[in-house]
Amino acid sequence: MEFFTRHKALILFIVFTLFCFISLSIQSSRVTNVVEGAGNMAIFPFQKLYHAIQTNISLLWSGFSQLRDAQEELEKTRARLQYYESIAEEVEEIKRENQQLRNLLGLKERLPYDSVLATIISKDPDNWFRTIIVNRGSSDGIKVNMPVVAFSGDEKAIVGKIIEVRGSISRILPIISPDLKIGVVFQESRYPGLLSGYSAIGKMCIVDYVDKTATIKAGDIVITSGQGGVFPQGLLVGVAIRSFPSESGAFQRVLVKPYINFDLIENVIIIKKEPDLEILKLTEEETQQ
Amino acid sequence: MILMYIITGALVLASLIIQGHSSFDVLRIGGVKPDLVFIVIVYFAYSFGSLYGEVTGFIGGILNDAISNSPLGFMAFPKMALGFIIGFFGRSIFKENLFTIFLLIFFASIAKGVITLILAYLFHEGALSSVTSIILPESFYNALLSPPLFFLFDKIFEQELSREGR
Repeated sequence: MEFFTRHKALILFIVFTLFCFISLSIQSSRVTNVVEGAGNMAIFPFQKLYHAIQTNISLLWSGFSQLRDAQEELEKTRARLQYYESIAEEVEEIKRENQQLRNLLGLKERLPYDSVLATIISKDPDNWFRTIIVNRGSSDGIKVNMPVVAFSGDEKAIVGKIIEVRGSISRILPIISPDLKIGVVFQESRYPGLLSGYSAIGKMCIVDYVDKTATIKAGDIVITSGQGGVFPQGLLVGVAIRSFPSESGAFQRVLVKPYINFDLIENVIIIKKEPDLEILKLTEEETQQ
Repeated sequence: MILMYIITGALVLASLIIQGHSSFDVLRIGGVKPDLVFIVIVYFAYSFGSLYGEVTGFIGGILNDAISNSPLGFMAFPKMALGFIIGFFGRSIFKENLFTIFLLIFFASIAKGVITLILAYLFHEGALSSVTSIILPESFYNALLSPPLFFLFDKIFEQELSREGR
């Protein structure tokens, strides 16, 4: 007994080390999930509280500082509203025409998806992972592999996909993470490629496997191809910065700047699109190979 | 003593929440943010010994793993191990001045980064480029922040430190 009392620190060190290595060896098991869930639930109320305090302070501050600009903004918004109202009729007409053309071509109508607005409450606290936690979870109907978008100016651009769902929170894997792979195409030239995060800490993405004969210019728009089973087709991803040959020389790689500024993003929209499971399974098998 | 445990828990929790909040991203330099939780752990190990350091490191690391996408134990092990090692030497060897604190945190952060990289190779995906892109800049950033934070913590734990004759 005296031995244990005297060497308490060393014994605890061995116990903690064993715990860590066993848990790392049996990753994503029920036990680790329960411990992680408990830790998450313990911190979540404090995260929410801190977020609420921080948001209210910044709202109060911006309320004071932006009061003068409010009138000007209101005038601008009114003008924009008038403009949008004027084009609404035009859009209706185009929709009708589009529907007629789709019917003629026998194309299926694109399914409209429900979406949920979510607020970012935290991000990965360390530099080794790049995930985002939002205040919507399984209780809001959120499921793993649902796509996430956000507004960048007036445009809706892609943020990432849901990789973990708990009661009232979900974790998003952003497109700047090297762990996420998305099928994309260059909007103008229609050349396809596979987009992923460029580095663990950067804010850029890289498109791999682009045909080496493709002419890619700086400023070319990258959109989702819709082929991975998760993201709908045609969502904005980013703009090409420059291209360079891949190591093997068989393809070219294109550096892409995402539309979304991941340092400033506060709210996201989760699209309630169930993933195409067959395509997803096929893609995952190909990735593993 | 209970008050000290409460303050320790509050400090670890506050560092984790601040570090994980989106507003903390403005503090990123070259894409890297400092590891406040680790600075707190090193402070406790340095001031109150191995046992206190490793327990704080383990709990802080497990909570870090819980809110991060890292597998459980990935952040906990390096933090716990460094808490244990630094606690062995503590203030008895590292004479307290700005430069020693800077060096202590710098080398401790590098050791933490190297252990994390080894764990990444063993249990996740490791890339040697992390040494220059994450480990070195983060260590430097941690070291820069440590003197004012150590000064602040010394003020908070003034009574406990004098009780332990440090």
